[in-house]
Amino acid sequence: MLGQALRRTAQMTLVVFGVVTLVFFVLRLAAGDPARLLNQPGTPETIVQQVRERLGTDRPLLVQYGHYLADLARGDLGVSFHGGQSVRDAVLEALPNTAALALVTIVVASTIALALGIAAALRPNGLVDRSVLVYVAVAQATPAFWLAVVLVLVFSINLRWLPAIDLTGPKSFVLPVATLVITLTPVLIRTVRQSFLETLSEDHVRAARARGLPERRVLLVHGLKAAALPLVTLIGLQAGFILAGSYVVEFVFNWPGIGKLTLDALASRNFPMIQGGVLVAAVAFVLVNFVVDLVYAALDPRIRLRAS
Amino acid sequence: MSGLATTRADELTAAAAAPPARGRVALRRLGRRKGSIVGIAGLAVVASVAAFAPLISPYEPLAQDITNTLAPPVWAEGGSLEHVLGTDSLGRDVATRLAYGARNSLAISVAAALIGSLLGLITGLVAGFFGGWVDSVLMRLGDMQLAFPFILLAVVILGVIAERTVLHLILVLGVPGWIVYARVVRSRVLAEREKEYVTAARAVGASGPRTLFRYVLPSVWQVIPVIAMLDLGFLVIVESTLSFLGFGLTPPTPSWGSTLAEGRQFLVVSPWLPVLPGLAIMFTVLSINLTADGLADVVDPRLTKGSFRRQMLRLPSRYNRDRGDDQPLLRVRDLAVEFPLGERVVRAVRGISFDLERGQTVGIVGESGSGKSVTALAIIQLLDAPGRVTGGEILLDGQDLTRIDRKAMAALRGRRIGMIFQNPASSLNPVLTIGFQLTETIRTQLRLPQEKAESMARDALLSVGIGNAEHILRRYPFELSGGMNQRVMIAMAMAGRPDLLIADEPTTALDVTTQAQVLEQLRDVTRASDTSLILITHDIALVAEYADAILVMYAGQVCEAGPAETVIRDPKHPYTRALLDSLPRADTPSGARLQAIPGELPDPTIVPRGCPFAPRCPCVLDISWEINPELVEVGPGQTAACHLWTPDEARGAAR
Repeated sequence: MLGQALRRTAQMTLVVFGVVTLVFFVLRLAAGDPARLLNQPGTPETIVQQVRERLGTDRPLLVQYGHYLADLARGDLGVSFHGGQSVRDAVLEALPNTAALALVTIVVASTIALALGIAAALRPNGLVDRSVLVYVAVAQATPAFWLAVVLVLVFSINLRWLPAIDLTGPKSFVLPVATLVITLTPVLIRTVRQSFLETLSEDHVRAARARGLPERRVLLVHGLKAAALPLVTLIGLQAGFILAGSYVVEFVFNWPGIGKLTLDALASRNFPMIQGGVLVAAVAFVLVNFVVDLVYAALDPRIRLRAS
Repeated sequence: MSGLATTRADELTAAAAAPPARGRVALRRLGRRKGSIVGIAGLAVVASVAAFAPLISPYEPLAQDITNTLAPPVWAEGGSLEHVLGTDSLGRDVATRLAYGARNSLAISVAAALIGSLLGLITGLVAGFFGGWVDSVLMRLGDMQLAFPFILLAVVILGVIAERTVLHLILVLGVPGWIVYARVVRSRVLAEREKEYVTAARAVGASGPRTLFRYVLPSVWQVIPVIAMLDLGFLVIVESTLSFLGFGLTPPTPSWGSTLAEGRQFLVVSPWLPVLPGLAIMFTVLSINLTADGLADVVDPRLTKGSFRRQMLRLPSRYNRDRGDDQPLLRVRDLAVEFPLGERVVRAVRGISFDLERGQTVGIVGESGSGKSVTALAIIQLLDAPGRVTGGEILLDGQDLTRIDRKAMAALRGRRIGMIFQNPASSLNPVLTIGFQLTETIRTQLRLPQEKAESMARDALLSVGIGNAEHILRRYPFELSGGMNQRVMIAMAMAGRPDLLIADEPTTALDVTTQAQVLEQLRDVTRASDTSLILITHDIALVAEYADAILVMYAGQVCEAGPAETVIRDPKHPYTRALLDSLPRADTPSGARLQAIPGELPDPTIVPRGCPFAPRCPCVLDISWEINPELVEVGPGQTAACHLWTPDEARGAAR
């Protein structure tokens, strides 16, 4: 058990380390000279050089990398190229906003996926099933950014029901969450429907019926638990998708989260801020997958009891 | 990589064993789905628009017209045929830009899918052929990449490149897809190698890579296009998302994503500007996905399962209900069960009849495929779809089970008819404790409160010989032995004190030492509550020991029936004799070979003209090939369906 925990921690650290290292070098090798970008074109070389020294980008690449890692180990994410704000503060300020968005999305999307997936599986090829599958096909083909724009057009501009941008209160969650949920549900619904259908054809479901259990109990107690397990795994698999979706949604809705922070930093070649944003996202990514595995183990006694 | 493509690819991997469809079969399957026809047509439209964009576009994609900016489309007020879809903020023709956008989006996505599939094909073949450390390194690399938030890197890489070219986008989008293709290709290679082992039964070295290539590539060619199609739909969306965020092709090159992003600035005055490119993307991706579904259906029709619903035929009653006191507990008359299988029909049970008295045990014996389990499932009305009762009656105390509604039948299960199955481990819910499942059953059947049910659960376990009931109740099925699980199943089935218990091969999955214990337990509990038992088995020796009556089934029919003792001592049907000859006996000289029955069961989709056993029968007569014999009385209470015993032939028979 302890060995497993250690191996898992090492694995997660390795993934995060790989991401930050790759990003560090990609930025410095492909992104051009941030000192030039910070100054007007035609600024004398001596002044640009001073900026480089201030930013630390004049030193050899490996020295910069060494300093970066040493700072990282101390929990220091550096300071922004613009205005000298602490990257850690900026990231910690943005993180709860993204986490709230992702959490609400996962809860709403899972609930909808379970309800629609099971409703569809109960009568394959029935009216409900066909309607759900049409929704799945259409939602699957809908790009999140376009959906966000259309939702704003309808609910903010035409109907004036909901705010179009910024995080100002609970109402602000509706459109971003709706966008993410609609683009996330198709694959979830497909999986729930499929696994529910498979569960229903399993021996133990037939045996439960043979014992005379009411159909409702067979479906909701014996079917649901088995069908919910793949959904949990899928949420982990979709963590990257949710991450990408939140970049788009934060961009469109001007949501003060990690995605917007990273995209803004990319546009202005703000290296420390990009690195901070990516680091947080990578940590979140591996942690979500870790939590998913824990939840799975808690739900499935076969894994829980074999591990101990 | 999208979750969809990954999960679908896994499904296809699982389908690796299915024989691939070819030629007309493939086309027919593709055409069977209306969706795939619509998808292919839609894809053809988008592809031709992309291919012929310069020919069909009335304007140049970059041509500006400052005098005519933000012109509305033709259907809106002020629109004109000059610019069918209107113009953008620089006066550029929207229709033209969308057509050229299709060109760019599709070209990039198709190229990315090609790169991903090519890389995956090569790595998958390499991993499958070489195996060993090459395989584990490649697959570990793939796992790591799947655990890697690649989308982050894609955004950063594209975000920092100042002059993004088509090549940059193709590589960043295409390369990460390799792992999905590689896994499928690898598993197909491994499956083929496996087959090689079995059929040729020779060392790996004997079959060179060239032979493997010949077998593997055809099946790989079938799967790659399906995954590539799924991948393509995802890539079109990712490409346009990156363009929308400003990380796509450098402006002013038209792409759907960037056109949408530009149009977004004019959302209030010209809502069509951002809406139209989105519709183009949706149309394209929908067409691609529908095509992919159709292709998946061609590769493996199992992936698109049809109806699972239980079907019930309403049959006209042809029998006079005999409600007299001499009526048996169970009376089965001319029961027929069929499974439609595409254009053919499996006739699993073809008109069987028998009676079962209260407290009696009947053993149904036969090879697998003889229809004995299907008979059992028909009685308890739990046939797997699409199986259905197509004829006959099943009377439980005079009530026809084929004619009562679903709810009434559910109420009978457990309380009047119980059933235990062949594999006890898979017949219990793996994620619920024994205690939960047993208590739940007792509560349902006896309508008892929780505490009462719990104490009854302990008693129920004790009654099937489980001493440490308290301990077992807290366990999960996977923690118990097969024999223990089967005892639990018996306890559950008997909890409602049913009049009839069906045991379908109850000990086949158990090891020999526990078989006898479980069967004795079964006999004891059914005797104690005067429950009738249908014992289904392929082992005629068990029936001899535990049953009062015997029913020998062959190819969906009864070939011999009667009191167990009589039939075992003096079998009349050649098949029953063959079954008995295949048993080891006390007087069998050690070293003598037991008689196996040569031949196989007939094809269940073809109704034989004569006796179904004729091809395997040692005493076959000329008439056996022409007429299917009926059951005739051959002794006290004993019947057999064999021309050796039909009245006309009996005299001439060599007995």
